[in-house]
Amino acid sequence: MSDHPQSFWSKYIFSFDHKVIGIQYIVTGFVMAGIGALLSILIRLQIAWPGQPIEFLGKLFPEGMPGGYMMPEFYIALVTMHGTIMVFFFISYVLVSGFGNFLIPLQIGARDMAFPLLNMLSYWVGLVSALVMLGAFFVEGGAAASGWTAYPPLSALESAVPGSGMGQTLWLLSMALFIVSFTMGGLNYVATIFSMRAPGMSMMRMPLTVWSYFVAAILGLLAFPALTAGAVMLLFDRHLGTSFFLPAGLVVGGELVQAGGGSPLLWQHLFWFLGHPEVYVLLLPALGIAFDVLPAFTRKPVFGYRLSVYALIATGALGMIVWGHHMFVSGMSPFSGEYFSIATMLITIPMAIIGVNFLASLWGGRVIFKTPMLFALGVVAFFGTGGLGGLFLGNATADIQLHETYFVVGHFHFMIGGVTLMGTFTAIYFWFPKMFGRYMSEGLGRAHFWFTVAPFYTLFLGQHFLGLQGLTRRYYAWDSYQYVADALPTNVLLSVAAFVLVSGQVLFLGNFVWSIFRGRVAERNPWQATTLEWTTASPAPHGNFGEHIPVVHRWPYEYGIDAGGEDFADQSVAPDRAPVTA
Amino acid sequence: MQAAVTATVTGSALGVGSELRNFQLRLGMWVFLGTVTMLFAAFSSAFMVRSAGTDWHAMPLPRILWWNTGLIMLSSVVLDYGRRCANQSRWGSAAAAVGGAGLLGLLFLLGQLDAWRQLAQAGISVPTGPFAASFYMMTGLHALHLMAALALLGWGAWRLWRGALDDEVAVRGVASLCATFWHFLGGLWLYLFAMMLLL
Ligand code: HEM
Ligand SMILES: [Cu+2]
Repeated sequence: MSDHPQSFWSKYIFSFDHKVIGIQYIVTGFVMAGIGALLSILIRLQIAWPGQPIEFLGKLFPEGMPGGYMMPEFYIALVTMHGTIMVFFFISYVLVSGFGNFLIPLQIGARDMAFPLLNMLSYWVGLVSALVMLGAFFVEGGAAASGWTAYPPLSALESAVPGSGMGQTLWLLSMALFIVSFTMGGLNYVATIFSMRAPGMSMMRMPLTVWSYFVAAILGLLAFPALTAGAVMLLFDRHLGTSFFLPAGLVVGGELVQAGGGSPLLWQHLFWFLGHPEVYVLLLPALGIAFDVLPAFTRKPVFGYRLSVYALIATGALGMIVWGHHMFVSGMSPFSGEYFSIATMLITIPMAIIGVNFLASLWGGRVIFKTPMLFALGVVAFFGTGGLGGLFLGNATADIQLHETYFVVGHFHFMIGGVTLMGTFTAIYFWFPKMFGRYMSEGLGRAHFWFTVAPFYTLFLGQHFLGLQGLTRRYYAWDSYQYVADALPTNVLLSVAAFVLVSGQVLFLGNFVWSIFRGRVAERNPWQATTLEWTTASPAPHGNFGEHIPVVHRWPYEYGIDAGGEDFADQSVAPDRAPVTA
Repeated sequence: MQAAVTATVTGSALGVGSELRNFQLRLGMWVFLGTVTMLFAAFSSAFMVRSAGTDWHAMPLPRILWWNTGLIMLSSVVLDYGRRCANQSRWGSAAAAVGGAGLLGLLFLLGQLDAWRQLAQAGISVPTGPFAASFYMMTGLHALHLMAALALLGWGAWRLWRGALDDEVAVRGVASLCATFWHFLGGLWLYLFAMMLLL
C-alpha cells in the first residue's frame, strides 16, 4: 500500500489519505481561529474602552474605524464574523472534520474512509467556503452584520446596513458550501463506521470518540439541510424580490419596504433547527475524546461505557427537538414555550449522565497530570460550568429575563467555545505523537493550559454576572445605558483576561511548530493507551496498518489489569495474553 | 456482555470486494437521500407557514404537470425493469431500459421547463407572490436533483452496456443505486405536486 511513488502534490495537497485530509482541516481551522481571535480583540477593545479612539487601528480600518473610532456597523460585523468563523470554521474544522478524519479509520481499524475521493472534495469545498467567508471582509459594505444567526430583516434587505449587501450574500453562499462540504464528510463518517470496522470491532466495542463522531455526523446530516433551505429562500428574498421572511408594513430607515406577508420567525425556526443540533455536533466529539483520554491517565476503565453510548445517542435525538429554546421571547405561544422548556430539561438528563460518568471515571484513579490530561479535565470542568448556566436558560421564565444578555454569551462560550476548545487541545496534545511521530513539549503545554483556563474562567464566568446585571449583548455603545454604567471596571478586567487568553495561545503555536521539527521522538504507544491507532507506527503510515488489519478481541478500555508486567491491553491483544474484562 | 458484543455485525461480516462496495454505496445513497428529505421537509414547512399568510394566493397549475407526472412514473417502471434485467444478466436490455428511463426523465425536465414557460407567459414570475416563488423554487431544486440523477443514469447505462465485461456484482450494484435515487425523486415529485395542488 505504502510503496507506490507519489508526487508532492498527490501526497500532501490533493491527497486521498484520511490522515493528510484531517491534518489539512486542522491547519485550516487553526488559521481561521487566529483570524477569529483577532476579531475578538477588536470587540473587547471597544467594550472595555467604548468611544475611545485607537489611532493605529484607524489606519488599518479606515472605513470601519475612521480616526480610530469604532463604527457601529463595523462592530456588529465583527461580532457576526467572529461567531461564524469560530463555530463553523474553527471548531467544526479542527474538532469535527480534522480529528474525525484522522481518528475514525485509525480507531476502527480501517485503511481509509469508505469514499476517499469524496473526502478530498469535502476538504476542498470546505476551503473554498472558508475563503468565500473571509472574502466578505474585502467587498463593498464589508462583511455580513446580522449576527452569526443571520436574522432577517437585517440579512434580507440589502439596504438595511452596509454589511447587508454583498457581505451577506457571500455569507449565505459560504454557508451553503459549508453544508455541502459537511454532507460529503458526514456521509463518509457514517458509511465508514458502518462498513469498515476491523474484524471483532462490534459497534459496542468502538471507542467513545468514534461513537461521538457517529452521532455527530448523523445529527449534522439531518439538521443542516434546514439552513440550506433557509439560505435559498433568503437569497430569493434578497435578489429575486420574494418575501419569504419579510413581513408586511416593514419600515427601514423611514421608508416602507415593498414586501408583504413574510415571516422573520420562519427564518429563526429554520436557523435554530440547524443551530441547536450544530452545537451538539461540536460538543459531542469533545466529550468522546475526553472519555478516551481520561482512562489513559487514570489507568482505569471509563465508568459506564454502555450508558455513555446511550446518553450520546439520546442527546443527539433530543438535540433535534429543542431548537425553540432560542426563541422564547419571539412571541411563541406559551404552550410551545412550555414544550421547548420541557424538552430542553429532558436533554439535561443524558448530559448529566455523561457528566457523572466523567466524574466516576476519575474517582479513585491515580491521576497522571500530563498535558492531554489537564485539558481533558478542562473538558469536564467547562462542561459542568456551562451546563449549569444552561439550566437557567432552559427555563422559559428565567430566559425571558436573561435572553440577549451576557449571561447567554457566557453560557455558550463555556459550551460551544470552552468544552470544544479544551477538547481540541486535548486531542492535539494526545494524538500529536501519532500525527508527527514526536511529543509536544510538556512544560510549554502546561503553561499553555494555565494561560488558557485561568483567563477563560475569568472572562466567561464574569460575563454570567454582567448578564444577571442586565448587560445586553451586541450593543457597541453599551455604556450609554445608565443602569449598567458600573459594569465598566468589570468589562476592563474581562478585556484584559481576553487579551491574556489570546496571547497565551502563542505558547501553543510555538510549541506546535517547534515540536513538529524538534520534539522528542515518540514511540508507537507513548501514553500506553488501548485503542487501535496505538498499535501502528508513529506517525501512522499510509494505509495505517502494515500488512494485516488488526483483529479486535476486547473493548477499548482494558486498563488496570495484570497483563505480564503491564497494566493495560490494547484492543488487538488476544484473550490468552491478557484477561478480557468487557 | 461478551457474547452480545461479538454477535453484532463487524466489518468483515459484510463480505469483501464488490459486495462490500455495493453495501457502502447503498448506505451512502440512503444517508444522502435522508439529507435530501430533510431539505425538502424544510421547504415544505416554509410552504405551509407561508400558506397561512394574508398574501397567499394559490394559483391553478399548468395542465402539463399531469403529463410530466405520468412521464416520471413511467420512467420509474422502465428503470425497474432494467434493474431486474441486470439481475438476470441480460445486459443489453438492462442498458436500454436504464437509458430509456433517462430519456423519459429528460422529457420530464423539458415538460417542467414548459410549465415554467406557460406561467411566465401568463405573467406569473418569482416575485408575483409566495405561491409562485415556492413553485419555481421547489420545482427548480427538484430539477437540479433530477439532473444529478440523470448523470448517474447515464453512467449506469454505460456500465450495464459493458456489463458482461465488468464485475457483474458491481454492475448490479450500480443498477440498484440508479433505481433507488430515481424512485426517490419520482416519489418526491408526487409529494411536491400533491402539496402544491392541495394547499
Ligand atoms: C445543559 C444543556 C443546555 C441547556 C439547557 C441550554 C440552554 C440554552 C438556552 C435556553 C439558550 C438560549 C438562550 C437565549 O438566547 O436566551 C442557549 C443558548 C446557547 N447555547 Fe445552550 N444549552 C445547553 C447546552 C449547550 C451546549 C452543550 C452548547 C454547545 C456546545 C450550547 C450552545 C449554546 C449557544 C451557542 C447558544 C447561543 C446562541 C446565540 O444566541 O447566539 N448550549 N442554551
Ligand atoms: Cu440550543
